Amino acid sequence: MSENKSYRLEIPSSQNHLAEADRFLEGHLKQHGIDQDSIADLAISATELINNAIIHGNKSNPDKIVTIELEFTDKHLSISITDQGPGFKPEDIPSPISDENILKEAGRGIFIVRSLVDDLQVEEPPEGGTRMIIIKKLAS
Amino acid sequence: MSISTHEKDGVVILEPEGKIMGGPEATELRNRLYELISANNKKVVIDLGHVEWMNSTGLGILISGMTSLRNNEGELKLSSISEKVANLFEITKLNNVFESYDSTDDAVGSFG
Repeated sequence: MSENKSYRLEIPSSQNHLAEADRFLEGHLKQHGIDQDSIADLAISATELINNAIIHGNKSNPDKIVTIELEFTDKHLSISITDQGPGFKPEDIPSPISDENILKEAGRGIFIVRSLVDDLQVEEPPEGGTRMIIIKKLAS
Repeated sequence: MSISTHEKDGVVILEPEGKIMGGPEATELRNRLYELISANNKKVVIDLGHVEWMNSTGLGILISGMTSLRNNEGELKLSSISEKVANLFEITKLNNVFESYDSTDDAVGSFG
């Protein structure tokens, strides 16, 4: 049995730090032997959630941080994105593929994440904010 | 991200390169597109062959560019979409919204 490994990065609530978060994630995923196709799907998904955390969660307030945590276990990897905002309900987001929404500029992020990863969980940490957790199963 | 621009047969071709995830690179693409529209260009192709991947921010910029051009009696077409980006278009059903071509030459030729 291999030991669990975890990594953590905190960024200010600015999209200028997205590339830093992407390098952090892609670097560790590559280091753990994740295939390039899966790395891209996970990076797309994580950057969607980081954008949401910065813009909708923390309202781009530079005094608030977004925490990104990556954990590898024997059976899966998880990427957690935690903001310091008021929380939201993903089920309230209208379908972006309906005729009335298809040409809207925004509103596809969560839909895309759900399509690309094995599971997406939402938690409300006791200290406040929202934690979105991407789960990807690993081949045993 | 680097974005090169050139013109062929009266069609402006934008070639973004890298990832479009929502940071300064996305702002640059959005601004470049709006500069073209403001300058009254009506035929625009975005060659996505060198875009490694994009997220919904990139899709939003493309939709915004397409609708702005249409409102200005222009047209935006896409070319050389990579497998990863094509997958995103299929997931979001935007493959039914954008006109896309295998090559930039085909996209330019389609304007007639």
